[in-house]
Amino acid sequence: MMAPMAVVEIKDLHKRFGSVNAVKGLSFEVEAGRVTGFLGPNGAGKSTTLRALLGLVRPSEGTATFAGRLYHELERPSAEVGAVLEDASFHPGRTARNHLRVLAAAGEHPEGRVDEVLSTVGIADAADRRVKGYSMGMRQRLAIAAALLGDPQVLILDEPTNGLDPPGISWMRSLVRHQAANGRAVLVSSHLLAEVAQSVDDVVVISSGELRGQGTLEQVLGGDDGPATEVRVQDPDRLASALEGRGHGVERTGDDLLVLGATPEQVGAIAAEESVVVLGLKSRARSLEAAFFALTGDGG
Amino acid sequence: MSALLRAELLKLRTTRTFVALVAAALALSLLVVVLTTLIDDGFEKEEVRMLFTADFSSIFIPLLGVIGMAGEWRHRTITGTVLAAPDRLRLLSAKTLSYALAGVVLSIIVTVTIMAVGTIILSARGETTIGIGDLADQLWRNLVVSALLGALGVCIGGIVRNQVAAMIGLVVFAFALEPTILGLAPEVGRFGPTAGAPNGLLEVDAFGDDADLLAPGIALMVMIGWVAASFAAAAALLRRRDLT
Repeated sequence: MMAPMAVVEIKDLHKRFGSVNAVKGLSFEVEAGRVTGFLGPNGAGKSTTLRALLGLVRPSEGTATFAGRLYHELERPSAEVGAVLEDASFHPGRTARNHLRVLAAAGEHPEGRVDEVLSTVGIADAADRRVKGYSMGMRQRLAIAAALLGDPQVLILDEPTNGLDPPGISWMRSLVRHQAANGRAVLVSSHLLAEVAQSVDDVVVISSGELRGQGTLEQVLGGDDGPATEVRVQDPDRLASALEGRGHGVERTGDDLLVLGATPEQVGAIAAEESVVVLGLKSRARSLEAAFFALTGDGG
Repeated sequence: MSALLRAELLKLRTTRTFVALVAAALALSLLVVVLTTLIDDGFEKEEVRMLFTADFSSIFIPLLGVIGMAGEWRHRTITGTVLAAPDRLRLLSAKTLSYALAGVVLSIIVTVTIMAVGTIILSARGETTIGIGDLADQLWRNLVVSALLGALGVCIGGIVRNQVAAMIGLVVFAFALEPTILGLAPEVGRFGPTAGAPNGLLEVDAFGDDADLLAPGIALMVMIGWVAASFAAAAALLRRRDLT
């Protein structure tokens, strides 16, 4: 049986900005036909790594390559690699169609691809509107259209769900799964673990510029059996503070708290001590978030 | 290279900025030529030729170049542009060439229009006009100046990434600093990129003494030198900059 083909290779990558070590000796691979989640808290070095891979920042040491070639060595970069970066920006006075026409001209892609990708991302009806009138979600879809323009075999997506509404997030998950099912390698970064857990095959976890864990989703999920509890209370700030004071990781979504390393009984007891009214309390199975917090030491 | 050039020319055509600058350059140039030809009289051939150097393209095209290049940072589109064209030297070359071509197009529109309108008015008033050969000679000089200043604008935008600072700096240099140097020390000022050398190429006697003008051939080489030096500086900065 042949070994899986690594189409993205990060080898001992270092990047220093002055005295700041943004990336410290990072190494990992991304394989064709799989979605790899590139996870880490904000400021972990994810975007810097992706930008080094795309030739936008110069590594201090190490290499980041596509099948052994640097991005600028690719014969037709946009036909081989599509990228959506976190700060995808457009000239506000140019229409979406014209933005894509410019990229099609630069990448020598057929102009007919412009209409195809506009339809794929669902903004064909707004194609002739100036981008300054676009919502954040529409801009994100336009960025994805630009990445798909050259029908590339590798997709690099940096926080692609930013600005997308729930249907948009669901659409994004379907898109990346579809791309991987067609043999493409997809590397998708996120700090919102729940948003990628349903769509990734492999995960690479980094924190403070260092690799903290990698493997299949199952391997990482199985790395720790600590308890987790979901709780809804009337005063989430007070309870979160009390839980963190006792060394528990807490992730907050609205009034809901996900407490890591604590059973429902423990959480209930702490809530009672703090005189916080509990509206709902249940045990939660081991999650990617828990593994992530365990790996990164980040308490959310 | 041709693909990148097509892309850059398409960028130029797909915002309103270029059209607005063509309109502004045309309106100002026409205003000067129409008023002058209607009000003055007793024109001599040299005065008519000088009148047709009133092509405001040479003022607007370097600003357009600055907007085109520094705007990549202002609108944060530089990342997408470099992803599409990772060879940054080729990218800068394509952008520089595209704005030089834009300068030619802008100058053709403006110069041909003012020559036609000015000649019609002068003829109608029975004033002196100049022949097609002299008009063609002035046209190519105007085109070359606009082309080189368009290229210079891109390079300035590549050196000074802040679009507003680059534009203000260019305007202050072109309208205050360089004219001051020209007035105080013409032997130095005649080598300047936005007035001194262009005046030499256009044979515009701004000093009241033709001896202070650079010969057209020398002036052309000086302007090319300014573009080459600024291109080298912009290329060096663009190649080593991290796009974070």
